[in-house]
Amino acid sequence: MAIVLINGQEVEIGDDERLNGIQVAARVGVEVPHYCWHPGLSVVASCRMCLVETGKRDADSGEISMLPKLVPGCQTPARDGTVFVTDSEKVRQARAMVEEDLLIRHPVDCPICDKAGECHLQDYHFEHGRSERRADIKPFHSRRRELGDTVALFVDRCVMCTRCVRFTREVSGDAELMVVHRGAHEEIDVFPGFPLENKLSGNVVDLCPVGALGDLDFLYSQRVWFMKQHASVCAGCSTGCSIQVEENQDRIHRLKPRENPHINQWWMCDEGRYGWKYVHDNARCLAPRQKIEGVLQPLDWSDAPAALHAALTGEAGENSNSKNSPPKNSNSKKRRLAAVLSPFLTVEEAYLLATYIRQYDENAVLALGRIPQAGADESFPNGFTIRAEKCPNRRGVEMLLSALTGDVLSWESFLEQAAETPFDAVWISGGYPPADGNDAASKEEESLAPELLAGLASSTLIVQDLFASALWRQADIQLPGAAFVERSGSFVNAGNRLQSFEWAIRPPAGVMTEGQLYWRLLDRDGLYNARRVLEDVAREHIAFAAATSEIPATGVDLLLNQLV
Amino acid sequence: MLEPLIKIAVLLGGLMTAAAYFVLLERWIAAWVQDRLGPNRVGVPLTRIRLFGLGQPMADGGKFILKEEYTPAHVDKRLFLLAPISILAAALAVFAVIPFGSVLPASVYTLFGQDAATVALTEGPVPLVVAPGVDVGLLYVFALSSIAVYGVIVGGWASNNKYSFLGGLRSSAQLISYELPLGLAILSVVLASGSLNLDEIVHHQADSGVWFIFTQPLGFVVFVIAAFAEAARLPFDLPECEQELIGGYHTEYTGMKLLLFLVAEFLHMITAAFLIVLLFLGGWHIWGLAGPDEQVTWVGAVGRLIVLHLKVTGVIVFFMVVRWSWPRFRFDQLMALAWKVMLPLGMINLVAVAIFEELSLALQSQLGGWTLAISLLGSWLVCLAAWFGVAYATPMIGDNRVRKDIHTYEVDPQI
Amino acid sequence: MQATDPDIRWVEPPKLGLGERMYLPLFLQGLTTTTKHLVSAKVTVSYPDQEPEINNPLIYRGVHRLNRDEQGRVKCVACFLCATACPAHCIDILGVESPWEDREKYPESFTIDELRCIFCGMCEQACPVDAIELTSLYNLTGRSREEMIFDKEKLLSVYDATKDKEPMKSAQLPPVTTPSATTSTATSTSPTEGGA
Repeated sequence: MAIVLINGQEVEIGDDERLNGIQVAARVGVEVPHYCWHPGLSVVASCRMCLVETGKRDADSGEISMLPKLVPGCQTPARDGTVFVTDSEKVRQARAMVEEDLLIRHPVDCPICDKAGECHLQDYHFEHGRSERRADIKPFHSRRRELGDTVALFVDRCVMCTRCVRFTREVSGDAELMVVHRGAHEEIDVFPGFPLENKLSGNVVDLCPVGALGDLDFLYSQRVWFMKQHASVCAGCSTGCSIQVEENQDRIHRLKPRENPHINQWWMCDEGRYGWKYVHDNARCLAPRQKIEGVLQPLDWSDAPAALHAALTGEAGENSNSKNSPPKNSNSKKRRLAAVLSPFLTVEEAYLLATYIRQYDENAVLALGRIPQAGADESFPNGFTIRAEKCPNRRGVEMLLSALTGDVLSWESFLEQAAETPFDAVWISGGYPPADGNDAASKEEESLAPELLAGLASSTLIVQDLFASALWRQADIQLPGAAFVERSGSFVNAGNRLQSFEWAIRPPAGVMTEGQLYWRLLDRDGLYNARRVLEDVAREHIAFAAATSEIPATGVDLLLNQLV
Repeated sequence: MLEPLIKIAVLLGGLMTAAAYFVLLERWIAAWVQDRLGPNRVGVPLTRIRLFGLGQPMADGGKFILKEEYTPAHVDKRLFLLAPISILAAALAVFAVIPFGSVLPASVYTLFGQDAATVALTEGPVPLVVAPGVDVGLLYVFALSSIAVYGVIVGGWASNNKYSFLGGLRSSAQLISYELPLGLAILSVVLASGSLNLDEIVHHQADSGVWFIFTQPLGFVVFVIAAFAEAARLPFDLPECEQELIGGYHTEYTGMKLLLFLVAEFLHMITAAFLIVLLFLGGWHIWGLAGPDEQVTWVGAVGRLIVLHLKVTGVIVFFMVVRWSWPRFRFDQLMALAWKVMLPLGMINLVAVAIFEELSLALQSQLGGWTLAISLLGSWLVCLAAWFGVAYATPMIGDNRVRKDIHTYEVDPQI
Repeated sequence: MQATDPDIRWVEPPKLGLGERMYLPLFLQGLTTTTKHLVSAKVTVSYPDQEPEINNPLIYRGVHRLNRDEQGRVKCVACFLCATACPAHCIDILGVESPWEDREKYPESFTIDELRCIFCGMCEQACPVDAIELTSLYNLTGRSREEMIFDKEKLLSVYDATKDKEPMKSAQLPPVTTPSATTSTATSTSPTEGGA
């Protein structure tokens, strides 16, 4: 057990831990300011902001001998007996000098800078800088150039920490960015003809400690202090990156990665980062409708339980006094029901839907929804993977299905089964974003070809989805669904890690979230409570046993302690 | 029979108009004290003539009449209607015995010719009071002002609203408490003048030429303060305080019913002003205007009328200025003032007056002309001594901290 | 709260002298004050008949205006600091990239709901480029709610109408002469200068 001294305070660190001064100081709540150091990148110690006094305590005599000069905390490993002093006058002066130097060439155009409010230069200057400037400098206009389709560089705001350069070399592996010129003329740039266009390019904007790199998608759309942050999980692919949804008044402005060492570390791909646009698409389905004598009529949400009950039992729709009542087993004719659980449903929603259908037919067929695929898995040098499976919760629904029915019925085999012996009523849940990402108009799925859906033609079809599709148009009851940022629940990613999240924005008017609808259909009291449902699931099904206790922000591994 | 009817008509019309214009005066004085101009826009309708805002009462009245007459669903309908009626009826009925002038010369009958004079049932000068010669006038005034309390309490009760109810409760406590010092002050006046008839009391002061304010300064102070409280004017406006009870007993009232309450309130102030003037300020008397009623000329009669009304107006202006000079009392202070200060002062005054009246005959024979001087000196000495005594004893300053020696029960804050 | 609550601090009232306890001197004092005011000169300005006099237009908080720079373009850089500072949330800005070479960002639309505004002047204080200012125009009226929502053009036209009578307030700042004055003006425009 190694003991490190931080400002006279003893910190114990594990023997196998390899930490630097900044990390050890953070353990006892001492913040060492830094620009160039990032836990996910190599150490260059170029910004000099983390300068600290260091020394060694003799293990036998307990005598402390300090180094005469300051050293960068990011580069100094913490070993047994290492001493760090971060609050001496010497350190404070060094920080103030570094801040002063950085601001000599800084345009100070904070009013128009997108980073203002979450800028390290601002924060550190406020905390560690001089109270007034000694140089005679006026704010000026920063030069700007586009590095690629996603990122703009504001050249004069840069503090040359080279985090972005190291990122493209070490994490994304494409090495598009470099430092050109020398000394005071140093600038970040790309080689002519080779723009920054890797699939992780958006991360350099998050990495930039100042406002030098701007996200072209987010640029000037909102000041950061207006936005509220919500921890969430990306639904772009089955990697299930931990993300942070930043919204203002139910409008998403950007997604940022959230640190999760088990899944995405500090990164996320551009596909996920910019893949939320469909949430605010005007083409989204916004009103429930019911086909009455072949014509679609508006359906009120308050009448929906009765209509669904009628559709599932085959009774007349007007028979509202039996609304929501548990199905009567004395029904003369046994109806054959089926539910398709979409891989976009959360575990909780899938469970509630299965429970609801099974109320009407305890042998109802439960199938896994269509799995959208695009290309192949793509891995990056540091292990970050973009999956070809473009849905967030295939594993979760599969685990639930195998727990409920013993095996997993795929969408294709379900359609075949339907073609052989048609079902009386089928509930198909969706939540699929438009096929090509952001353009809803082009959603014509090859997998929903009419000949495939022929087997469903004779059954009462209840379809719940975000966008109109061939299936949606064929439905007898259309229920608009909610997007992932509007829901609460848990996704299980490709690595069997279950992450819970709460809703970040409210769904558009006219949409009821899946969870709330199922909650109401099951006649439960109050509002949909995902945590309570997950507790039920964890109690009932051994596959989810790890989710019994509170889910940490980084999720839980469902295979933990399981004999699989 | 014509005579009282004419008097009633004149009195009713005059009082209503006076109440309306006193509202305007009140607003003017409020504005002037606050360095504002006050209402000065409304003049002759449909013209640009502004008349310094003298049309304001008309506009106010019109507004009240046109307002929706709203009765909340939760009130006791009968009592809700009864309250404003009873309070206004009582306030108006008081004026039956209050002389609003001295007398008019007997020659008034000749104005209508010889035939009219023969129709008249009475001979001699016409007293300017609706019911002349009521020997229990003061008692009548008291009886009716007590009925006004009923109006307030019934209004607060019928409104079925906690603020109104609290206002009603406060007003019953306040009015009943202050009737005692008021009665003691009046009692000493009655003792000195030997009559309950208001006209006779004025005559007593006019004949001697010495108003009761001079011979009974302590009684005057007690009476004025108690009258303020009885009229619920501002230092004592706890029954209807707008800050904490949002209007008190008339919170739920709107339109004409509210107007009845407001008019009654002003009538109470006018009544109080009349009583102050009649009992202590010599009524219509001013030096040079004395003399028996039978010898009153037209000039004298009009002069007395003007003097009386000037005095009354002056007292009312005093009422209105005091409103902006004095901070309000807290309710416990109000009660302490009534029971710990006003009541003892009233008793001292009564005893002093009684002693002097008892000794006055003896003194008269011994000292002759010096009696008046002695009585004045004595009364002022009593007044000063009592006042100093109150200041020294400070019954108003109490310690309202919790008694540590008394066990207090823990009360569940949920209850 | 109970009267025995330990959080209650009992304050001793000041001791009164005999004169104060006699009440009369204080009463006369109050009555004198009210009577003095009763007859003193009135301060009311009968507005439509009589125009109020604005002594210092620099500190008067009337209708807003958006200033123009030397080239006649809107001076605002769409930094949203006024909207952030606004306690009534009456400022709505849409900031986009500017079409000009020397400017990065500008407000494509800038609207102030004058009916929501409480004329506190915080927007003026927050503005780092002295673009939004409150003029001394006090007689702000309109016939509809829509009319009272001032857009960018209207706010600029307020500037055009008032610029001769009321020059930009930044021009009223003392001229830059000494190095220390330079420092203070330079830092005052920069929100990063937290300690300044």
